Amino acid sequence: MIPAPSTRQLVVALKRSVGARAAELELKWMRQAVEQPPIPASLHPTPTFEEMLARRVAGEPLQYILGSQPFGPLDLIVRPPVLIPRPETEDWTIRLSERLRPTKSKPISILDLCTGSGCIALLLCHLLPPGSAHATGIDVAESAVQLAKDNGAFCGITVLDNGPPLCADFPKWDSNTFTPLLANIRDPAFVIAANLRPPYDILTANPPYIPKSQYDTLPGSVKDYEDPRALIGDLDSGSAQGLSFYHMIAALVGDKSRPILKSDGIIALEVGDGQAQEVARILHEQAQVHHIEIWRDPWDKERVVVGRSSP
Amino acid sequence: MRNFCRSCTQSRPQLLSSPLVFRSSPYLFFKARYLSSTQNNALSRFDGAPILKYVRQKVEERSKLLSLISDDFSNAEDVSLAKRIKDLEPLETAWKEWSNTRKSLQETLPLLDDADPAMRALAVEEHASLLETLTNLLDSTFPTLLVPASDTAHLSALVELKAGVGGSEASLFLAELVRMYTRAANTLGWRATTMSSNMLEGGNGMKDAILEVKGDKAYDALRWESGIHRVQRVPATEANGRVHTSTVAIVVLPLSEENDSHAGKDELFSPDEIKIEVMRARGAGGQHVNKTESAVRLTHLPTGITVSMQDERSQHQNRRRAFQVLRARLMDRKLSREVMERRAVRRNLVRSADRSEKIRTYNYAQASLPPMLIFYSVIAHTKLQDRVTDHRLGLSLMNLMSVMEGDGLQEILQALEERYRNESLEEVLTQ
Repeated sequence: MIPAPSTRQLVVALKRSVGARAAELELKWMRQAVEQPPIPASLHPTPTFEEMLARRVAGEPLQYILGSQPFGPLDLIVRPPVLIPRPETEDWTIRLSERLRPTKSKPISILDLCTGSGCIALLLCHLLPPGSAHATGIDVAESAVQLAKDNGAFCGITVLDNGPPLCADFPKWDSNTFTPLLANIRDPAFVIAANLRPPYDILTANPPYIPKSQYDTLPGSVKDYEDPRALIGDLDSGSAQGLSFYHMIAALVGDKSRPILKSDGIIALEVGDGQAQEVARILHEQAQVHHIEIWRDPWDKERVVVGRSSP
Repeated sequence: MRNFCRSCTQSRPQLLSSPLVFRSSPYLFFKARYLSSTQNNALSRFDGAPILKYVRQKVEERSKLLSLISDDFSNAEDVSLAKRIKDLEPLETAWKEWSNTRKSLQETLPLLDDADPAMRALAVEEHASLLETLTNLLDSTFPTLLVPASDTAHLSALVELKAGVGGSEASLFLAELVRMYTRAANTLGWRATTMSSNMLEGGNGMKDAILEVKGDKAYDALRWESGIHRVQRVPATEANGRVHTSTVAIVVLPLSEENDSHAGKDELFSPDEIKIEVMRARGAGGQHVNKTESAVRLTHLPTGITVSMQDERSQHQNRRRAFQVLRARLMDRKLSREVMERRAVRRNLVRSADRSEKIRTYNYAQASLPPMLIFYSVIAHTKLQDRVTDHRLGLSLMNLMSVMEGDGLQEILQALEERYRNESLEEVLTQ
């Protein structure tokens, strides 16, 4: 069948912008999504193929157009402007899950800061044995908290609406639970405000880490569609390395008057290109995190700083 | 509907060799052979079957073993003897049934000539039923008991297709074959998914594809599809109506269920033998980039086998799939090696799939033949009809469309399976 001229022109335009090979795959995925929408229409109305194509050529990320992004074995809903889960994050989350050995009789608590779509917390909940993990996700954006909630339900994870469960109640749960909460980690009292239940066994985060100076150079599909609050890692004009959130997290972990992590609890933070050594230093010096490891992503970039909290 | 055409007048065990057309079901023919003979002749033909001689030997061996075993189970070798006896038990049971049925059959013989027509009719009916039981024992029960059970019966299959000669016409045909296998799989109760495919630029064809067919006995049934598939037809794009010959190469691989992929425990390879590469540079990566770049390439260092997978949007999925394909290729090598080793120790009649062999031709009727050619075709009795010829079976199916729709393929798969069973049986009998 010969496509209508406008469609053909769009196909040519797409090939020009992403390359012939990538375009071929993207077209296939769009057709598949039209035939078999990955997300129910109630959550993401499926556009027609032509609409998809036009939006893609206009620079919108494919994930927002299709409404979903696979993340490990999960299919997550994605919705602008909440950050689209990245394959680097997928990789280290799976790796982290393999290192944890919780059971229903020895369950763990997880705190995921800057949770966004909820991807890290939800994948951990999915991969760990039922009843062995209870995750709380924090985000400053209402759109993110709502999406995280929707994703929990969509992935069949038990979502708790009335605040995080008490440690003492963990044994009651046969399934893993996820509690997404709206809170601003810049607020010094956020732990109390959000009614969190520290100390946690695990702290994970993929905080915004792009230096302000690099923001303008980002591809349009990132800059024009994804929430800058999920991307820019500089909060004041003073520092410009995109490390503000690591300082904040280190302060949180280092505060021994109200320990957020249990002794020897695991902290795992995703970092931007070239930031790993500096983040490791911050965690070590400001929060006495020890046994620090730096994990590389599949593209061989230093991507995650993992360590253990001191007593 | 059966539309079977065979050249060979004997249903087994010889190979059917010529693709000439002969309309008759092998089953009907087989039966006719016995029924048309005089009654005594029928029995003596049965009795002469080599398989009976073999079964009798085994049954005699069993009674000998029974006499060796001590009453109180006191000898050390009793356990192994008992096991041997137990293994031969089903054969003994079938043999008893054979002997009894044979005896009954002999008893009905005189009644076939009885003066009373009612009695005669009864005897004819009885006779036919007993004959059927014997045929069934001979053709199905004994062979099943004698041929060792397939140790690959639990495996699913990966069907790898690559366009050969013929350019875009080969690619078009490849896409049609993918459709054929997908539909046939559905009919047979398997689940088929296109795991990977490379579409032809701007067309409907595929340069290559990998089909995953999941289900019981999928590999056993599909393994004989490995080889060169040839299509002869006038391409839609061919203006002057010339017949083109194009080919698609197929390799069917054994697909084992994934054992925990992250545990890395696998008898086929160890994790440190695998190099995993992600395709293309991602620049800074992470939050800086949201382009989908999920392609993965695995290299199995000891063999140099590489598998690339890019069809899924998730790198995790592509990696899982790539590992599945790699495991299937390694398993295939292992199975081939085992066949070679067996061949080395004893005479092996069972063929293994030769992947460079031309195994099948799909002929499409040439509706657009010039009148003169049609005239010649009619005289020569060829070319005009749609047909599929399996060169190993010497089997032509005239209903090409039914084959391409997946239903007709079943007949071919069954015939190939039967051929394999017969070869395996013959191997057992000549040991």
